[in-house]
Order: sequence, then structure tokens, then C-alpha cells
Amino acid sequence: MKAKSDFPSINERQPEGISAEGKAYRVLIVDDSMFVAKQISQILTSEGFEIVDTAYDGEEAVEKYKELYPRIDLVTMDITMPKMDGVTSLEKILEFDNEARVIMISALGKQDLVKKSLMIGAKNYIVKPLDRKKVLERIVMVLKQRS
Amino acid sequence: MRVEYINPFVEAAFSVLKEVLGTEISRGELYLKSSSQPMLGTTAIVGLTGDVEGRVLFDMSLQTALAIASTMNGEEFKSFDDLAKATISELANMITAQAVTKLHDLGFKFDLTPPALFTGENMEVLDTDVEALIVPIDMPLGKIEINVAVRERN
Ligand SMILES: [Mg+2]
Repeated sequence: MKAKSDFPSINERQPEGISAEGKAYRVLIVDDSMFVAKQISQILTSEGFEIVDTAYDGEEAVEKYKELYPRIDLVTMDITMPKMDGVTSLEKILEFDNEARVIMISALGKQDLVKKSLMIGAKNYIVKPLDRKKVLERIVMVLKQRS
Repeated sequence: MRVEYINPFVEAAFSVLKEVLGTEISRGELYLKSSSQPMLGTTAIVGLTGDVEGRVLFDMSLQTALAIASTMNGEEFKSFDDLAKATISELANMITAQAVTKLHDLGFKFDLTPPALFTGENMEVLDTDVEALIVPIDMPLGKIEINVAVRERN
């Protein structure tokens, strides 16, 4: 009988959510919509990412980032949220950790805010509706630009 | 049409809407229609084919669709844009998928079409050969009518 390792390993692609060191990337999801947070979470967990926490407004995001630091690899940041919007929250997170990797999640028609976020230091952005391929592509791109 | 087909859709709609909108939901009086019916303006349709065949409509006004999309996404919508449309289609998908799981558990075997979305004023729907059973669902954001027209294939 052949051992499993004798077969070509076409199915053994490394999931995108696992780093070269074999550890799951740790992600904080920030979104006031449970529906959107769940969509992002489903896409990422299916690729092996670890969702370490979810924050439902910008203020909570800053608090949770500080708690999780330095054991956090990436933040997905919604823009329109109550209490504190995503752009302000991004600013506060970068004040605390200027190497934070934050990806903005934007609705259509928010180009000005996306541009502003990128100028402040967001690493990339994704426009809703969320498409699995697009989400993974952008996130992997950011994680690979490891400074 | 047998009422047992519609109950899974109503139950699924209740649990999904409660989850994604976090609001109060109540069920209006169920009614039957065999003549053509006016549509509310924004309608997602899902087709069923197999032991059971027909279609399910999720029908609402544009205003209700926008309010639902806004709540689900945590965004303000000025128009019924691609994101709003994708959200209403996804809502129809979530409800139908849950209903179908229940129907499969009851022993019915069939497939679904992906949801399609229609928008426009003065639309009507006419089902020939099969009656439509309609369940209005009332929420603070507005009303959704779940309109099911299915029959057993023979
Ligand atoms: Mg939002």
C-alpha cells in the first residue's frame, strides 16, 4: 500500500492564513455590522486565520488593539461606525503602534475617506460588497509586505 | 399548495431577520392568491426544482430594502447601489438556505437557483397552475412579504 506522501500533493496548498513559520495570523475585525463582521470572519477562518476579537466601534477597536498588542498581525477596519469612525480609530491605533497593519473596509462612494486613510497609514482597502477572492488577495498582500 | 412548505420559510425568515437586524418581528395574516398580484418594488426571487418545484419571492418596498441594507451593513445608503443589492440578495440566500435545510430534513429533495433581484414600479407577478401563499412579516424597518408558490412534481 502506498503511503499518503507518495501521492502528488496538489491538495496540500498552505492555507493563506498560516504564516511561513506555521502560525495562524491573528486578526482583529472592526465593524459595527454583525453581518459584515461575520462575512469577513467566515472568509478568513476558512483560510486558517485566527480571529482574535471583534470590535463594534472605533473606540472599542483602539482598546482591543492595545490589549492584544503585540500579539496581533492585522486589523480590518470599517469606516462608518458609531462613537468613533474608522479613520479616527486608525489614527489612534497608529499613534500607539506605528507599524500596525490596518486594512480599511469601505462602502461604495467613500473614495475621499479611503484616500485619507491611506495617507494616514492604512496599508490597503477593500470595497464592499465583499468578495472572497478580493478580500484574501488584499490581506495576503499586506501581510507579505512585512517590514 | 400545502402549508407545510411555507412554514420552514417563515421560521427561517424569523430567525435570520432577528439575527441580522436585531429588531422586533411579527407575523401578519397568511393569505392565498391565485390571480396576479402587484409587487412592492424590490423583489428577490429564488427558484426551487426537484421533488418540489416553484419559486419563493421576498418582496418589499425600495424604502424597506434600503433600511434593511443600511442596518445590515452599518452604512447609510443614498441609492440602491451594488452593495445594497448584494445585501438583499444575500438576505434571500440566507433565509432560503435555512428553509431548505429544514425541508431536506423533512425528506424533500430539490435544488435552488441563485437569487435574482428585480426592482421597479408597477410590477406584477402571475403564477399559472399554482397558488401563491403569502406571509407578511412586519418589522419597525418595514414589511417583507414572503410569497411562496410551489407544488409537488408528479
Ligand atoms: Mg459600518
